[in-house]
Amino acid sequence: MSDNVRVAVLFGFGINCDRETAAVFDMVGGSSERLHVNHLVQGNRSLEEFDILAVPGGFSFGDHLGSGRLLGNRLRFALREQLQKFVSSGKPIIGICNGFQALVKTGLLPGPENASLEPDLIQRASLTLNNTGRYEDRWVTLEFDSDSPCIWTKGIQRIECPVRHGEGRFVMPTDVELDRLSTNHQLTVRYVDPSTESGSGLSDDLLPFPMSPNGSMRNIAGICDPTGLVFGLMPHPEAFYTMWLHPEHTSMKLNEDEWEGSGLQIFRNAVEYVRSQR
Amino acid sequence: MTVHDVRIEVTPLQTEGMRDVRGDVVRRQLIADHGIDVGIVRSICGYLIRSEYDATSITPRIQDIFSDPIIEFGAVDTSVIHDSSFFPQTPSLSVTVGFKPGVTDNPGAAANDGFQVLFPDVNAAISTYTTYVFTNLPETVDNAWLASTLHNPLIERAILATRDNLSSGNASVITFPERPTIVRQSPSIIDLEVANEELIRLSVDGLLALNLTEMQAIQAHYRMTEHQTARHSVGISTNAPTDVELECLAQTWSEHCKHKIFASKIHHIDTETNEDSIIDSLFKTHIMNPTHDMAKEVDWLLSVFHDNSGVIAWNDDWSVCMKAETHNSPSALDPYGGAMTGIVGVNRDILGTGLGARPIANTDVFCFGPPTWTGELPSTLFHPSRVLRGVHAGVRVGGNESGIPTVNGAIVFDERYIGKPLVYCGTVGLMPRRLADGRESHEKNPTPGDAVYMVGGRVGSDGIHGATFSSLELTDESPSSAVQIGDPITQKKMMDMILEARDACLITCITDNGAGGLSSSIGEMAEYTNGCEIDLGKVPLKQEGLSSWEILVSESQERMTVAVAPKDTEAFEALAALHEVEATAVAEFTNSGYFHVKHGEETVAYLPIEFLHDGVPQLELESEWIPPVQPEFNPPTSLDNTNLLEEMLARPNIASKETWVRQYDHEVMAQTAVKPFVGKERDGPGDAGLIAPIHGDPQGIVISCGIAPRYSDIDAGAMVTAAIDEAVRNAVCVGVDIDKMAGLDNFCWPDPIESEKTPDGKFKLAQLVRANRELERVCRAYRLPCVSGKDSMKNDYGVWPNKISIPPTMLFSLFGNHVDVRNTATSNFKQHGQRIYLVGNCKNELGASEVAYHLTERNLAEGIGGNVPRLPEPERQLDIYRRLSKTIQDGLIRTAHDCSEGGLAVAVAEMCIGGRLGAIIDIDGIGEGDAFSRLWSESLGRIVVAVDSEHEMQFIEAMSDADIHLIGMVTDAQNLIIEDGYDELIQANVTDLTKSWKEALDMTGGV
Repeated sequence: MSDNVRVAVLFGFGINCDRETAAVFDMVGGSSERLHVNHLVQGNRSLEEFDILAVPGGFSFGDHLGSGRLLGNRLRFALREQLQKFVSSGKPIIGICNGFQALVKTGLLPGPENASLEPDLIQRASLTLNNTGRYEDRWVTLEFDSDSPCIWTKGIQRIECPVRHGEGRFVMPTDVELDRLSTNHQLTVRYVDPSTESGSGLSDDLLPFPMSPNGSMRNIAGICDPTGLVFGLMPHPEAFYTMWLHPEHTSMKLNEDEWEGSGLQIFRNAVEYVRSQR
Repeated sequence: MTVHDVRIEVTPLQTEGMRDVRGDVVRRQLIADHGIDVGIVRSICGYLIRSEYDATSITPRIQDIFSDPIIEFGAVDTSVIHDSSFFPQTPSLSVTVGFKPGVTDNPGAAANDGFQVLFPDVNAAISTYTTYVFTNLPETVDNAWLASTLHNPLIERAILATRDNLSSGNASVITFPERPTIVRQSPSIIDLEVANEELIRLSVDGLLALNLTEMQAIQAHYRMTEHQTARHSVGISTNAPTDVELECLAQTWSEHCKHKIFASKIHHIDTETNEDSIIDSLFKTHIMNPTHDMAKEVDWLLSVFHDNSGVIAWNDDWSVCMKAETHNSPSALDPYGGAMTGIVGVNRDILGTGLGARPIANTDVFCFGPPTWTGELPSTLFHPSRVLRGVHAGVRVGGNESGIPTVNGAIVFDERYIGKPLVYCGTVGLMPRRLADGRESHEKNPTPGDAVYMVGGRVGSDGIHGATFSSLELTDESPSSAVQIGDPITQKKMMDMILEARDACLITCITDNGAGGLSSSIGEMAEYTNGCEIDLGKVPLKQEGLSSWEILVSESQERMTVAVAPKDTEAFEALAALHEVEATAVAEFTNSGYFHVKHGEETVAYLPIEFLHDGVPQLELESEWIPPVQPEFNPPTSLDNTNLLEEMLARPNIASKETWVRQYDHEVMAQTAVKPFVGKERDGPGDAGLIAPIHGDPQGIVISCGIAPRYSDIDAGAMVTAAIDEAVRNAVCVGVDIDKMAGLDNFCWPDPIESEKTPDGKFKLAQLVRANRELERVCRAYRLPCVSGKDSMKNDYGVWPNKISIPPTMLFSLFGNHVDVRNTATSNFKQHGQRIYLVGNCKNELGASEVAYHLTERNLAEGIGGNVPRLPEPERQLDIYRRLSKTIQDGLIRTAHDCSEGGLAVAVAEMCIGGRLGAIIDIDGIGEGDAFSRLWSESLGRIVVAVDSEHEMQFIEAMSDADIHLIGMVTDAQNLIIEDGYDELIQANVTDLTKSWKEALDMTGGV
């Protein structure tokens, strides 16, 4: 098998972060292709051709009837078997922002109760309107659960990156379900108070706005499925692929080799994971 | 087949941790805008589904599409408001808002799309509504007033149900909006062999906006034998126009499309200088000629004026274009829909540039009445806060849903914009220099025989007469059909598809359908091949029964007109199908010399291309400059400048717009290297947008703007000078490549044609003359070509003598190259010890300044008269800018801020706010005038920079003989101290300044 790690970056119907998402995979040695959803739906292309699937951010179908819902339905009804097969064969999937919303609404996230079960595409959580009622673009501080099975976030402790959403508040019906995710270390990434020490910021107590930009339960910014292969998050790590996108880069004095943004490692992890499995 | 109407209602669950945010936002906004707390508000989303499926079939699928199983409750064919588990007590009031028939219903269209996934091939129509439920409304709140804040009667219906209605069960429910059937009218023949009064009546009654000379020019055309013979040969009325032709000419010859005032012959008199001269076209003389002269000196001006936007070569592989438009009249009638169509419309200008450019950044500049206005308001106008909310929401949705970052903008307030808000929307585009087949992408190249497709949305009766309507003043009889709501997702799909078609080399010519609809888009493209033949019968319609002229001129949104060579039509159509975009061949290019319109077999219009585009007679207008007299601004001598600084920071024109701007996505595409807000807490002002659009490559594009309408109260020429200089200063602040910048002039003027309704027309035209002369003088000196522009010339409300005219306003937008975005600067002070320099000199120029208005409005000064800021030596100024920009590009300066509204005091305060640092400043010896004027005067050419001590000597050397003044130092005390020698003028706490600056326009009503 070649060294090539093929990444399908979905686009169409109002997805709009497809170009930068494709670009960051290429930067870390992947080989990405922006693929219109309908190529898969109509069957002239197949997910089997790819090693990684990325569902980027955007406003699929204008977020009407709930963000990610209509795109989620297209995936759930038209691509059900392809998606199940993709996950079962151990291939990573990432959903960012609108892509995360779509994965939650298809039921790929948080997924079944444990890693031994097949993905059942049952919706167990949701992402709803920010408590502020406003769509906002602002930078947040994120911290990662170092024990998470998530293959995308290995070795990452804390990063900053932007959120850009109006419906990012992660909710589940009961604490029991949240506890289960917590025990499984599926609460992969959460909003934290930037003044806390890196590594000790994670907290279940609700942070005030704007540290938590949306009022998510337990400050959840992103979760993974029990296998750690499927990962979704509201913030945009691809929008921090380089330091010149950091809001304070004019206050930093960086050498030529210090310009990589800390969002890039997430994508590198997945590409390297795929290589390691060969 | 039986057709069923099924009602679905969805409301948020009330279980622990769940909230009804949609309802709560209504409560918060009413607090913010009117100081009224209406108590708990709940919301219900409703869907009316008309299809062959009944409730029994739809009920099992409700959670698959309409209600989210985790957060919502959904019910079929029952009213949730009567469900006691959600509304245990009968609410005080419910207001249900739905669309009027024929108005674009985007959620309905999306729901229909989702419905098709569950029920393939179903023939369905879905209409949506929202019910706001006020559970415990204070009795002091008037129901009708409350409903009026929740809907716009021009496009929406509101149904109220009081507690009595609800408890007695006689509350009416909203029903499917029935569109009245219309029957297509055959083209009528308009007899122009009538008296002059009748010609004028035809124009007025038909909303044609043509004057007598123009009507006579049309009359004359139909009298000529050669035309009559030609017309006979195609079987159309020989000696009189059809309604299709008259409408087509009215659109093409409208002020909106032809810019007749800018093209007019002006007799100009200046009473100050005794000048008495003739100007043959302000546009050619002062805008086009200077740019064409500059084009001889540089190699990067690829396409100017003739296309949908101006194009410059950015590097060897990519070119960049930019366009800005206004959408003032539609935004006055429906702020949300009007503004949204403004932004998605200008996106299409970019998509329609060359062979198709990709929009990569938006800019938005708005001019509104004061949001806190408590004075009188004509009944047909919205309160400025409502206009602000609506316009902002429209632009936010249009930009965000299209996935285009909003990187730069401004909001300006003045009472006179109550009559007509100004909504400027700009877009920057990027395209490869060459396509795969070697064609240069900035040039269109259609040939006769190419098929002409209409791509995207369908044609409806919405948007008829937009172009002619915007060429008339706004009255309470303005037509609702001129208002539309954009559909960003349909457009986004179309944009994805067209860019793929471009890269596959399938496009020979493309333009957007904006003002004038197909008549303008195909009409303009037909100039390339000198002819076309359209079949209106092929045009897909939203609604059957439209007449030929309506189909031709309708401005229904989200449509592009694309020409495709016959060999490529199959591939083009396949691509459209993949993207689920409608693309229909409706015309063919010819070289017949005629704009030939058929409806089926019948010819309904047959106009020579030359007459259509060049037949409009030149206007001849009178202009006379008599300088306006303003009472002199004499500030009181005993002012507390510290208090004044806090007041100035809270002036709407200066205060932070962060809560508004943050709602725009400014970072999608992962390219924004200087964001709208900067600094330690990311809330200091950004001067210009800076993007690096090629991922991984630090070469950048700077986007900035300048606007200074206040100065028109003294001299509209000075207004233009200030706007251009401000745009350039902002760009310099981030280190623009001064040798590769281009500009856009967007004029918004009150009607400058003298008439009974405009007795001061000569003066307003003289303002326009002076504005254009300054535009030429400054742009030539700055080597700053205007590559595209636009004018909107009827920004008045009402009828003389109760007419409200906007202050003459020109927005100057700038886009330029940036060598490396890693070396740029932001306005926030960075660290203790930075040395603060003022580049440029303070002059005694307080005329029409923000502080003059502030004190005059508070009756602390007589008036705003005095010296308005001028730019006597623009060539020298350019040299200073070049040197300063170079120091930023070289990494010596990383802190720079434009000095404009509110002068030096405000500029320095904003730098402290951004850095959460203090500063100690001495303004002694930095220019002429007393201390008050050095603090507050708005003299042009000034930028405040802070330099780290290790770079200070290099900076001083680099600036050499430019005027720079060391004015102070950054401190880590949280205080801004400004002294004039030994006199302390200001001592302010940075936290207080931050509060003043940030709270004034917050308007969120709390989290």
